Amino acid sequence: MADIIVLVIVGVCLAGSIAYTVRNKKRGGSSCGCGCSGCSGGSCCGKKE
Amino acid sequence: MTLKEMKPGQSGKVLSIGESGPLKRRIMDMGITPGVSVKVIKVAPLGDPVEINVRGYELSLRKEEAARIEVQV
Amino acid sequence: MSYTIALAGNPNCGKTTLFNDLTGSRQRVGNWPGVTVDKKEGTYKKDKEINIMDLPGTYSLSPYSAEEIIARDYIVKEKPDAVIDIVDGTSIERNLYLTLQILETGVPTVIALNMMDEVEARGDKIGAEKLSETFGVPVVPVVARNGKGIQELMEEAVKAAKEKKPPKKLPIFDEKLQGAIDEAKKLLEDAGESDSEWKAVKLLENDENVAGQVTEELKKQIDGIVAKAYGPEADLEAVVADQRYQYIAKVVKNAVKKGTTGHVETKSDKLDKILTNRILALPIFAVIMYLLFACTNSENFLFLGINSPGIWLAGIVESIWERLTDLAAGVLGGASPWVYSLVIDGIMEGLGAILGFIPLVLVLYILISFLEDCGYMARIAFVLDRIFRRFGLSGRSFIPLLQGFGCSVPAVMATRTLESEKDRKITTILAGFMPCGAKLPIFALFVSTLFADSNQTLVTYSLYIFSIVVAIIVSLLLNKFVYKDGASNFIMELPQYRIPTLKSILIHGWEKVKGFAVKAGTVIFVSTILIWFLSGFNFGSFNGTNAAENEDGSVMCEMNDSFMASIGNVIAPVFKPLGFGEWRPAVGVVTGWIAKENVVVTFAQLYDEDVTDEYLEEYFAQYSPEELEELGFEGGEYDAEAAGDIYSESVLFEGGDENALPHMKDDIKTKAAAYAYMVFNLLCMPCFAAVGAMKRELKTWKETGKAVAVQMVTAYVVALLVNVAGGLFL
Repeated sequence: MADIIVLVIVGVCLAGSIAYTVRNKKRGGSSCGCGCSGCSGGSCCGKKE
Repeated sequence: MTLKEMKPGQSGKVLSIGESGPLKRRIMDMGITPGVSVKVIKVAPLGDPVEINVRGYELSLRKEEAARIEVQV
Repeated sequence: MSYTIALAGNPNCGKTTLFNDLTGSRQRVGNWPGVTVDKKEGTYKKDKEINIMDLPGTYSLSPYSAEEIIARDYIVKEKPDAVIDIVDGTSIERNLYLTLQILETGVPTVIALNMMDEVEARGDKIGAEKLSETFGVPVVPVVARNGKGIQELMEEAVKAAKEKKPPKKLPIFDEKLQGAIDEAKKLLEDAGESDSEWKAVKLLENDENVAGQVTEELKKQIDGIVAKAYGPEADLEAVVADQRYQYIAKVVKNAVKKGTTGHVETKSDKLDKILTNRILALPIFAVIMYLLFACTNSENFLFLGINSPGIWLAGIVESIWERLTDLAAGVLGGASPWVYSLVIDGIMEGLGAILGFIPLVLVLYILISFLEDCGYMARIAFVLDRIFRRFGLSGRSFIPLLQGFGCSVPAVMATRTLESEKDRKITTILAGFMPCGAKLPIFALFVSTLFADSNQTLVTYSLYIFSIVVAIIVSLLLNKFVYKDGASNFIMELPQYRIPTLKSILIHGWEKVKGFAVKAGTVIFVSTILIWFLSGFNFGSFNGTNAAENEDGSVMCEMNDSFMASIGNVIAPVFKPLGFGEWRPAVGVVTGWIAKENVVVTFAQLYDEDVTDEYLEEYFAQYSPEELEELGFEGGEYDAEAAGDIYSESVLFEGGDENALPHMKDDIKTKAAAYAYMVFNLLCMPCFAAVGAMKRELKTWKETGKAVAVQMVTAYVVALLVNVAGGLFL
């Protein structure tokens, strides 16, 4: 039982983090997560030409 | 004489800026146009580039770029 | 109805500061020309209907570098409802040069006279009403740094956007030139071109970009007009620039009262005299860089015998994380061994490893931002230009490289500020060599484990110097053999020194922390699970072999039999000549390409074997009795009780701290190999995000592939040299 609860929590975190990255990527952000909103590249980071 | 030959502390008036091309346009866009007065502030520690004061601000350019600029001291 | 208002102005005139004021956002500002390299959008915090567009700075609308083209194309082609032209009052003449060109485009414009506090401090007076009268557009004095005048500015801008009234035509040019412009304008109008006035001036100026947009025929006719008025050899761009500046000189004479005449020495100039002093400049630069690392990663801060701020913060973070791990371990008491291992040895251990180093990165990052914001960066470029030129680069290339100390992605993007294509290509490759914030933890881990008995600050510092030296040499080689032609120049504004605002520094720090939190929660989090899985399982986990063999029935396997060991063993031989041809370090290199933090995460997971009694016995079994005696065993006889202490004292390096992973020494045996490993990770392909940024700047995958190949070969060759040379001399 404990196993299942822990696995569900980890699974949710995993799904959440992947979803976040994919959404960010689609919105034009980069997958690097290196504080792109504050970097000199600004909005164009990760955007296709 | 050219801007390159000027010593730190010397002031002069720009006469002409050499042959045309993107470099000349850049130099002119930065405010170095015929008639403007320039003052050499200092030379970089390794002898190049130079820092000049033009139109109230500090601009650096290399000696080879400064050599294009004719000045009258 | 929504409006778009664009912020335009010279580089470093405070556009981004104003943008942050207006939108309440936290974009990066700095004090050197070219902080913003792309347009950024936000909404006005007091009226969400109003979009604000921050454009890269430009000195003129005849653009030279990629980021200036972005600004010009936006104003000319996309036509915002209004432009706020930000004019730095301290160098008003040069700033008004752009103003005239913006007014020529016919976009409704409001002028913001910025840095009025500094103007006043100089004793100068700028008559805003007079300027407004002359240009026929509103002129609002502001101080973007503290938000003074912003409200009024926005009211004027919104009014201008609603009225959409183009600015009046100014009598800038003399009769002859205006006559030629009118003729060209008529030709363009007849051909059905829009923006005829602006294009006419640009075509007379011989602007290649605009010339490419009209027909050959038209271009020839216009050249004919020029030849008729000025002769065939005429250089109209000079005439146009000259007349603009003459007009500005007249305006300024009328509207500006100088407190003093001529050039006066400001505090900034006095400071500059020391910092770029003929003899002191380079030593000061070296000392400042050393202090940077002393604050970041030193257990003997400035030889005071105390921890540096970075290490001190790291200690706090680590102890908090340890508590959390203990808590999680307690909760997981009832779970099966492999689930426990996933959470504790995988996720907690992996994230904890990198978390402990984040304060170091943060401290370094804040200090670098301070240098950027105060105006010292442009001076470093000025001082170092001579050296860089010798190796075929411009001193300006140094700014993207220093940004690379923070993160390679913005560093690669900052190459846009370079004017020559050759410089851009080479600097893009070199940016990957820079010790970015994610590589710092690798150094910190290695230094605390394998260089514990050396001056740790010096070892870290040496890697930073190393990266720059390698960058310079590679640049030289690329210039000689690959990118042969193309000249560079060094026409750069040297900004006044300014004390950065606390807000700006806090923004930098906060962005870094936020960025890291995102990264830790996504890429690194997924990596920890992946590494844990690959290093704890093999095929036996799934066909029941492991469960049958293991006493406790666990399906997990010994690390040495795992998937990861199998993969690592395939790659490892490649690294044999570099001194670390074992599977664990090899895997570290590969996971590092996902994100460089992963190197440390991988090491923490792979070398996290407890020092058990069995391990110690096995370890000391390799020594003869004489050697055991030398190590500290009384009478040369193995003693299980003393073994633990002796192991950590004499086998591990002296002073190894809690960050240290003792088992690393099993695979990376010499200091030369350890240094080679750091160098390899420093120079080899950066993380995938940075490679993506490289692709955007280099345009094709072929060029990007070439760049990555250069990085890989460099990393291998240099690491090999380090290992071989280190083996000979150490």
